[in-house]
Amino acid sequence: MLRSSLIKVLNGAKVSPKHVCVTFRAASDVAKKPEKIEVFIDDQPVLVDPGTTVLQAAAQVGVEIPRFCYHERLAVAGNCRMCLVEVEKSPKPVAACAMPVMKGWRIKTNSDMTKKAREGVMEFLLVNHPLDCPICDQGGECDLQDQSMAFGSDRSRFTDIQFSGKRAVEDKDLGPLIKTVMTRCIHCTRCIRFASEVAGIDDLGTTGRGSDMQIGTYVEKFFMSELSGNVIDLCPVGALTSKPYSFTARPWEIRKIDSIDVFDAVGSNIVVSTRTNEVLRILPRVNEEINEEWLADKSRFAYDGLKRQRLITPMLRDNKNELTPVDWEAVLLTVCKVLQQAGPNVAAIAGGMADAETLVAVKDLLNRLGSELTCTEHVFPMDGSGTDLRSSYLLNNKISGAEEADAILLIGTNPRFEAPLLNSRLRKTYLHNEAQIAVIGPKVDLTYEYEHLGNNATAICNVLNDNCPFSSTLKNAKKPLIIVGADLLKRADGAAILSLVQSIAAQTCNKVEGWKVLNILHKVASQVAALDIGYTPGVSKIREAKPKALILIGADEGAINKEDLPEDCFIIYQGHHGDLGACMADAVLPGAAYTEKQATYVNTEGRAQQTLVAVSPPGLAKEDWKIIRALSEIVGHKLPYDNLNEIRDRLDEVAPHLTRYGEVEGANYFKQAAQLLQEDEEKTLDDSPIDLKIKELQDYFMTDSISRASPTMAKCVQAVLKQKESKY
Amino acid sequence: MSASTIRVGVKQVKPILSVDTEEAKKRVLNLYKAWHRQLPYIVKKYDIPKSVEQLRLKLREEFMKHKDVKDIRVIDMLVIKGQMELKETVNIWKQKGHIMTYFQDTVEHKPTDFLSQFLS
Amino acid sequence: MLNPLKCFGKYLGRYAGIRSLHSSSPLSHDSLFVHRDSPEDNPDTIFEFTPENQKRVDSILAIYPEGHKRAAMIPLLDLAQRQYGWLPLSAMHKVAEILKLPRMRVYEVATFYTMFMRKPTGKFHVQVCTTTPCWLRGSDEVLEACKKNLGIGVGETSKDMMFTISEVECLGACVNAPMIQINDDYYEDLTVDDTNEILNDLKACKKPRAGPRSGRFAAEPLGEPTSLKGDPPGPGFGVRADL
Repeated sequence: MLRSSLIKVLNGAKVSPKHVCVTFRAASDVAKKPEKIEVFIDDQPVLVDPGTTVLQAAAQVGVEIPRFCYHERLAVAGNCRMCLVEVEKSPKPVAACAMPVMKGWRIKTNSDMTKKAREGVMEFLLVNHPLDCPICDQGGECDLQDQSMAFGSDRSRFTDIQFSGKRAVEDKDLGPLIKTVMTRCIHCTRCIRFASEVAGIDDLGTTGRGSDMQIGTYVEKFFMSELSGNVIDLCPVGALTSKPYSFTARPWEIRKIDSIDVFDAVGSNIVVSTRTNEVLRILPRVNEEINEEWLADKSRFAYDGLKRQRLITPMLRDNKNELTPVDWEAVLLTVCKVLQQAGPNVAAIAGGMADAETLVAVKDLLNRLGSELTCTEHVFPMDGSGTDLRSSYLLNNKISGAEEADAILLIGTNPRFEAPLLNSRLRKTYLHNEAQIAVIGPKVDLTYEYEHLGNNATAICNVLNDNCPFSSTLKNAKKPLIIVGADLLKRADGAAILSLVQSIAAQTCNKVEGWKVLNILHKVASQVAALDIGYTPGVSKIREAKPKALILIGADEGAINKEDLPEDCFIIYQGHHGDLGACMADAVLPGAAYTEKQATYVNTEGRAQQTLVAVSPPGLAKEDWKIIRALSEIVGHKLPYDNLNEIRDRLDEVAPHLTRYGEVEGANYFKQAAQLLQEDEEKTLDDSPIDLKIKELQDYFMTDSISRASPTMAKCVQAVLKQKESKY
Repeated sequence: MSASTIRVGVKQVKPILSVDTEEAKKRVLNLYKAWHRQLPYIVKKYDIPKSVEQLRLKLREEFMKHKDVKDIRVIDMLVIKGQMELKETVNIWKQKGHIMTYFQDTVEHKPTDFLSQFLS
Repeated sequence: MLNPLKCFGKYLGRYAGIRSLHSSSPLSHDSLFVHRDSPEDNPDTIFEFTPENQKRVDSILAIYPEGHKRAAMIPLLDLAQRQYGWLPLSAMHKVAEILKLPRMRVYEVATFYTMFMRKPTGKFHVQVCTTTPCWLRGSDEVLEACKKNLGIGVGETSKDMMFTISEVECLGACVNAPMIQINDDYYEDLTVDDTNEILNDLKACKKPRAGPRSGRFAAEPLGEPTSLKGDPPGPGFGVRADL
């Protein structure tokens, strides 16, 4: 109910006049732009736009005003009163977070009145806050602690020796991820605002009033969302803390390492907290371009899967058909013999978490052995230009670009679970940009309203041939956006669908410079890098080729199984978890997980980013590219790189953008890609319904080898199923 | 311009002991000879499991480590250090272990090639 | 003269702990602000608006413009409470469904207002005002009479689900103290006998007359007026002659 549907109703079907009017106005906007007004923060003059709040104006000159309820990415609530500041000639202090500045205001952020107001507010907050910092998980990273030190009174007037006065609130059960100690809650309502604005799950609220007010769900209900973990970061006190991390460590004893998340193709920026060579928790790192400051639950909580089911020693299948631990020399020599016998009949399949270094090393090795059979587990149509033109497999318009779109068509994708942080952007667009959203594919809950156009290829044709009202919306939109799920393109008629979508994209009137309509959303972290390096998407070629040796690089999705391969095919699994791939392997080479290596990943936008070493690989496990490098030397085709810099030079040779970290290498040639695809032979459309692998929340939590090994994720699935049975 | 200032700078440097290369060479040779003369006594006094021959080789090795040093100030400094070392050795201010560290018998050298590094 | 006194007061204050905050235990509300399933109140409780009330719902909704329909929440909750006698969880769910709102938004409103009864409540909700003016005028006796007459305590409901007694804060009829409110009606200027009469009437399914019991029409003075008895003075009253 955030978005007033009034405008929608009044506008009816949005058609061009509005947009014409908007563009018309845009031209005169420059001249008419309201003048900046001057205010003084602690006698420092600053020019700000009208409508800027006192708090924002102060931030512009580097004065930080203390706050609890205010958060940049959430609506302003103005209920904690911590940001009270004095404004000259105003009889009482004003709440800086909610008060827009007026011309010539002299704001005093450090005056006696301001200090007194802060001390008073802090005193009131602490009257009903338990003094349990020593047993509180937030201790050391608590806003209330920090701000009471910085702005609170230096002595206490709280002399409740009978211990009768403090308010107590019963704890809520919000599910297996969030631990609650509601007595610590200071009612900033950040969690409520996050749940309703960003996560789109209106399950949290305030019940009661006055000193009986409490935050909760009123009925017994879990707060289950794919973004629920973020309320832990938002909570300024220890009311909402992480259940898996509870009583584990203090912030000052942990080492923080910046890294990249690999559970989806978004490539969220994360901070890995470690102590004594153990990953203790994962927190988001701010990156406005990708994840803002949010993080999806799988990325945040699946880290306990890194300690279970790990492959810690090389293994070989013995004559009893069991995998037995051996040392590196034995396994490398065995594999070497196999590879030498197989000659060019070798193939490799890259899984969803393979890094670019490993991918390039495997490809180099196989090429030296005379094989071209390097494939990825996830399929992408190879017709037409195939993967030669990057524009046909990237999320071209970037993740942050989704915020500006005004008409969005989602085809065969469920961004809510395939890329939760992209979905949060789409929701933002829906709420604040009045975007019209339509979906072709199964009806799923995306946390925003959308027009469902159908669930088969005919619906796509309808949009192309103007047979549905949404097609005119899309074609007249100023910034239209089409997002196609990688799942959809796996189908036999994937190429035909891609061709259709390219035609739709070509029909939209693309008025904005640099705006790219066609976007592909991948599901796994390795796919873009693999396609950039030149892997063949899909394993069908391997099935035909009948290789004598097959290298699986963390390929655990069961794209190929023993029945597809000849009897004598020797399977080598290299990866970090004992999952499907390791089960069918004849030799196991233990590799490192993403927290244990410095490795390059390219996200679905085409942005290269690198993970850093947070902990060392367990047992005898080694960094993945080094295993391939060692193997190559024993096989007799020594790869020409000995250290990370050298292999990165090789990456640079293959594709220079792979080592330009943090930047997106844009792609182009949309027209050419579309033409090449259309020139290809006639394609037939299959009109069977579109199916998605992840439709509901319970499918989201366990999707790869790490999250399948994670007990927390298993608990989440259970909790969601339990929630389903509940009547609330 | 800048080259000339550097030359001026070098010219003005005060010598430590030797004025020219010849003199420095003389000092080095003197030190070498002094060490050479002391080697039999060192073997005896310290009771080390090395022969005089081995010590001579080691002495030569230690001197040859610095064969490329051209700056006479550095040569002088090395000679001074060598004299200090000699004095400490001859006066038995050192112990057996200090002498044996020249040989580094117990140090295991780390592999340098990729494969041995990988397998170790 | 004043200064030493002030000083003394300050020290006395400090040692006597006057400056320290009030430390008695805070009074909490008597109802719970989380939902607990009970046989009467659970998500399976059947609640539907009656056909007449459904018409009312439609006309209430018609008041509010499109996009602001959520403003109808309080009227609808009130309607549901009037129909059911109290407000079960399923009624809140129904209202949420009508307004197309998340259920939590309705729970928030229903728990905020104390006049929404979220517990089973009798047909007649006897609300006895015990705030200072009524208390001074004998509300304790009135409350005692209610308890005795109905045989239940404060916050309890009689077994036949006819009566519930609540102690409430000021209902704004101080001039006619003491008073009780039964459902929508105020009964004012009460004595113990009046109270018993009202309750007995209700038990006998008669509707007692609402308003003051002292013979007053409304809030006028009891007996003769005591002020403003003469004609109102004209202009220039009380003004200096030379002006």
